[in-house]
Amino acid sequence: MFIKALLVALWTTWGFIDEHTLQLQTTRAIITGPVVGLIMGDLQMGLYVGATVELMFLAAVFVGTAVAPDVTLSAAIATALACISGNSEVAIASAVLLAVIGQTMSTIQFSFVNVAILHWAEAGNKKGDINRVKAATYIALALDALFYGVPTFLAVYYGGDAVNAVISKIPETLLAGLGNGGGMLAAVGFGMLLTTIKNKALWPYFAVGYVAAAYLGLGNVGIAVIAVICTFLHNYFLGLIEAKGDEF
Amino acid sequence: MKNTDQRLTRQDLWAIYRNQFFIRSCLNYERFQNVGFTHAMSPIIDKYYETPEEKQEIMDRHMQLFLTQPMVASIPIGVAAALEERLVVDKDIDADAINATKAALMGPLAALGDSLLNGTARPIVAGIACTLALNGSLLGPLLFLVLMAAMTLGVRYFGIFVGYEKGADLVTDMQESGIIGRITELASVAAYVIIGGFACTVVGFHLNLAYTSGDSTIDIIGTINSMLPQFLPVTLTLLCAWLIGKKKVSSILLMAVIMILGIVCTYIGLM
Repeated sequence: MFIKALLVALWTTWGFIDEHTLQLQTTRAIITGPVVGLIMGDLQMGLYVGATVELMFLAAVFVGTAVAPDVTLSAAIATALACISGNSEVAIASAVLLAVIGQTMSTIQFSFVNVAILHWAEAGNKKGDINRVKAATYIALALDALFYGVPTFLAVYYGGDAVNAVISKIPETLLAGLGNGGGMLAAVGFGMLLTTIKNKALWPYFAVGYVAAAYLGLGNVGIAVIAVICTFLHNYFLGLIEAKGDEF
Repeated sequence: MKNTDQRLTRQDLWAIYRNQFFIRSCLNYERFQNVGFTHAMSPIIDKYYETPEEKQEIMDRHMQLFLTQPMVASIPIGVAAALEERLVVDKDIDADAINATKAALMGPLAALGDSLLNGTARPIVAGIACTLALNGSLLGPLLFLVLMAAMTLGVRYFGIFVGYEKGADLVTDMQESGIIGRITELASVAAYVIIGGFACTVVGFHLNLAYTSGDSTIDIIGTINSMLPQFLPVTLTLLCAWLIGKKKVSSILLMAVIMILGIVCTYIGLM
């Protein structure tokens, strides 16, 4: 378990370093879930928990500087706990709480720690020391291990027994309730994404998506294809309006 | 100063491409991505600047506040590279123009990056990938990884090389052509379709609401669903949007309330 917890912690640290540099999106639960599942020896559980957590936070997009609920820490720990206990409901429910903890860690990091690093780097400007600026970014990245890697290790290494103990006592109805709550959770993300769209006159496209899914029964791939078609058509109409200029 | 007769080579631009990946590594709430921006400019400092005083001037310049979406930050970095080169080689611009140009780009680009990349492209690909993953296929995560890697690396390549090529003209081009507004509108179209559709396929719950009169029982939700299928998830999504947008309810609080609601409704047999 020591090695496994260490590997999960290393992956979480990498996830944050990726998010803070390349942004290949290995951060997201859809990748982190299966990777942690593989480490813990239950790939299918990893796929399931990863995809479920990803869907919960699918559209939870935060604009500007606001820190989003953290999907990496939550997906990594939730997947590991699900693999240890063999029970996905409790693990997935804990993902929400874990996401808030990760979010809090990030807020502390950006508000205090990185501000201190900034001032340290800037002190080197007088000497024209560009290497100090580079060192500042590397230090900030290295601290990701402390902020996210260490908590992940502790949660996976010590949390397994606790979760097993809780699961054996937890009533069936509460488990079902957690599952039902989790099923509704993605609505918050979609609601958030809706509020970020400024051009409310485009709302009929919302109806197009709804009709495609609810009446025609299309799946996610079909809906995505319709979205692409609508975008091209809309672009064509915008072009027409532009070409006609004032005549419209 | 040195190399004042030399333009940035393709090799220099690739060095900037590699260094721009640190744009948000030291994200801080005082001046946001300023350390990363200065880091991204390091190939230019190494190429043109010699004495500590000269270096301090350019470093102080880029240590000013900078904030945009990290992937599209590559565009102002490319433009700033072109302007820094012009400042040293052609000497026909003022140093203040560089930060003014960066500031003019960061607002519109932040809105564009957030809505197009984080708000549209990623949810679409993730939605498809999750469908595959829930069927037990590794193809889902792999597809997500490949498409997202292509997106982040591609956008950043475009930003550095096209941003450098166009230089300050990019700002006027952007403002006159209205391209940002157009792309944002198109992203909104796609996002609306996706939200309307995915709200039905992803959000899943049922309420046991029945009306009993005498011998006959009417399933209220079933009746509404026969006219407006999936009306529960869509109503909940719209309700959340209203609460977050109009009532300024914190989304985290809303998530907590929904989890509790799920438990309570299950206990009283509503779910």
